[in-house]
Amino acid sequence: MIFKLLKAERMKLKRAPVWLAFFIMPIIPALLGTINYLGNIEILQSEWYSLWTQHTLFTCYFFLPIMLGVYCAYIMRIEYNNHNWNKILTMPVSRNLIFISKLITVSFMVLISEIWIGALFVISGTAVGMSAPPYGSIVVWCLFGTLGGMVMASIQLMLSLFIKSFALPIGIAFAGGLSGLLFLAKGFGHIWPYSLMAYGMNSNSPQRMIESGYTGFVVVCVVFIAFFTIISSVILSKRDV
Amino acid sequence: MIKLLKCEYRKTKGRYIFLTALLVTAVQIVWALYGKYTDTVLMNGWMTFLYQLPLVNAIFLPLLSIIVSSRLCDIEHKGVIFKQLSVISEKGKIFDAKFIYGVSIVIFCNIISWASTIIFGYIIGFSSDVPINLYLLYLLFTIAPTVAVYIFQHTLSMLFKNQAVTFFAGIIGTFCGLFSMFLPNIPLLRKLFIWGYYGVLQFVGMFGWTKETRMADVYFAVMDIDWLFFAILIAASVVMYIIGRILFCRKEV
Repeated sequence: MIFKLLKAERMKLKRAPVWLAFFIMPIIPALLGTINYLGNIEILQSEWYSLWTQHTLFTCYFFLPIMLGVYCAYIMRIEYNNHNWNKILTMPVSRNLIFISKLITVSFMVLISEIWIGALFVISGTAVGMSAPPYGSIVVWCLFGTLGGMVMASIQLMLSLFIKSFALPIGIAFAGGLSGLLFLAKGFGHIWPYSLMAYGMNSNSPQRMIESGYTGFVVVCVVFIAFFTIISSVILSKRDV
Repeated sequence: MIKLLKCEYRKTKGRYIFLTALLVTAVQIVWALYGKYTDTVLMNGWMTFLYQLPLVNAIFLPLLSIIVSSRLCDIEHKGVIFKQLSVISEKGKIFDAKFIYGVSIVIFCNIISWASTIIFGYIIGFSSDVPINLYLLYLLFTIAPTVAVYIFQHTLSMLFKNQAVTFFAGIIGTFCGLFSMFLPNIPLLRKLFIWGYYGVLQFVGMFGWTKETRMADVYFAVMDIDWLFFAILIAASVVMYIIGRILFCRKEV
C-alpha cells in the first residue's frame, strides 16, 4: 500500500519544479564558501574540515530549514486545494500511511540534497587542490544530516497539516532554524529537533565527533520522528478536514 | 486607489498579516540586540550597531518581504479573485494598491526595529548621544534595499500562482546576498544582487582587527558612501517595478 501512496505522491509532484530549488541552493555555498575559504586560507587551516564548515554553516541553520518548510507546505497545500483532503481521506488507506508517505517523499528530497551537497564538497575541494577527501566522514555527515533533516521534515509536515496558511509554517521553520543555532550554542543541540540536522552534519566543528555517540543521536531522531508522525496521524484521523 | 487600499485592508482582516510581520520583526530585534555588552562595546555602541545590523537585516528583511508579499497575494490566487477584481478596476491599479499596502507594512516594521535599536542603546547605556544623522542615513539604506527586494517578491507573488516559486527564488536570493557580505574581497558580487545592497550601503567599517590582538585595538569609522550604487539600486527598483507591472497587466488571470 505504501508503495502505491508513494507513487501517488510522485505523480502529484510531477511537473512541479520544486526539486530545482534543492538543486540550485547548495551550489551557492559551494561556490561562495570555497571562494571565502581561499580568501581566508591562513586562518582556516584544517583543509577539508574548514571547507565543510564554509559549505554547510548557513545552509544548515537558515536555508535548508526554510527550504524544507516550503517543500512540506507545498506538499500539504496540494491536498488543501480543491478539497483534495476529502478525496484522499475517503480512499481505503490508513491515515497514518498517508502521512508516512509524505514524510518519505520529503525525506527522499533531503537525502538527494545531502548527496548533492557532499558531491559539490568533494568537487570544490578537489578543484582548489586538496587531496584525499575524507569520504568516510562525508558519508557519515550526509547520512546523519538526512536523519536530522527527517526530524525537521516531520515537524514541518505536522505544522503544515494543522496550519492552512502557506507562509506561516515557513516562518516557523525560519524561527526554528534560528532556535537550532541557539540551542546548539547552549549545548542542547542533540535534543532540540531543529538543531539535529546541523548537529548530524557537524557543520560548526567537523573534527569533533558527536560526543553523545551516534547511537544516542539515532535514538533521539527516531523518537522525534515517531512522535510527530503519531501526533499527526491521530489528529488527521480525529479532525474533520 | 483609496478604495482599492481599503479593499486590501478588508481582505486581510483576520489573516494576521500585520501581526506576522510584527512577530518576524520582534525575532529580528531580539536576534540583533542579544549579546554581551562589555565596556568596550558600550563605548563604541552606536557605531558597533551600524556595523553589525546590516548583516542581520540581510537575513531578516528579505524573509519579511517574502512572507508579507506572498500572504497578501495568496488570498487572490486561492479564491481566483484577480479575475473579479480586474473587472471592476484596472489591473495596473490592483498591482499598485497591493504593492503600496504591502510595502507600507514592511517599511513600518523597518522603522520599528530602527527605533527600538536606538531606545535599546539608551537603556543599556551607550556612552554618548545617538549620531542621529548617521542613523537616519542607516534607516534610508535599510529601507532602500528592502523596497527593491519587496518589488521583486511582489512581482513574483502576483505572477505565480504557486507561492513555492516566490519563496524559493527569494530564499536563493537571500542566500546569495548573505554570502556576498562575507566576501568583501569581491565587491562586485554584492552589487550584482539586490539582496547584497545591505552590504553595499553599509557605511561603517571595522578596522584594527588582527589575529594577535583580536578585538583589543578595534575601532569603527565611517567609510565613503557609494552614492552611485545607491542611485543604481533606485533605478533598478523602478525598472523592476515597471517590468513587473507590465507583465502582470499582460497576464491572463
